[in-house]
Amino acid sequence: MKQHLRRQSGVQKVEVSLLDGKVDVTPKEDGAINPAGLLKATYDSGVSVAELDMTARGKIVKDAAGGLVFQVAPNRAFALVSSDLSKGLETLAGSTTWVTIRGQLYKKPAGKKKPEASPPLKLLILEVPSKE
Amino acid sequence: MSTRKLAMLLLMISPLVPHSQAEIKHIEMRVEGMT
Repeated sequence: MKQHLRRQSGVQKVEVSLLDGKVDVTPKEDGAINPAGLLKATYDSGVSVAELDMTARGKIVKDAAGGLVFQVAPNRAFALVSSDLSKGLETLAGSTTWVTIRGQLYKKPAGKKKPEASPPLKLLILEVPSKE
Repeated sequence: MSTRKLAMLLLMISPLVPHSQAEIKHIEMRVEGMT
């Protein structure tokens, strides 16, 4: 699995802890990393993903439907799951403020062995470490 | 100030300026069935 993940674009380093089932991925600075691709690559290597968390820096914008989106690259953005934390960021939508967010992009649905094909990844904010 | 001096000054202070690029900094997965 480690080799499989390391071959994904935008991946600099992969650290696997067998003891607690944790995989840490350090992205390259080229912005090419794709969390959905990592999720698929992990499943393709025969390992089931229970949860995927991400820490990223970006800007809060609104999509065409008025929903909040976290833009982490010109071509990569994640819709925000509505929560108290996301509502607290609503005033920053469209502003020049950089926000660092730690959030959950994927959680294995209870009772299901395999995930749905290409699940849309939405970001559930767990923590907002900084706003600049 | 000459262009050369200005360029040198910018080069020296650039590490002090906060990195303003959007980026994914870290990804962590909890996995099952790993051997």
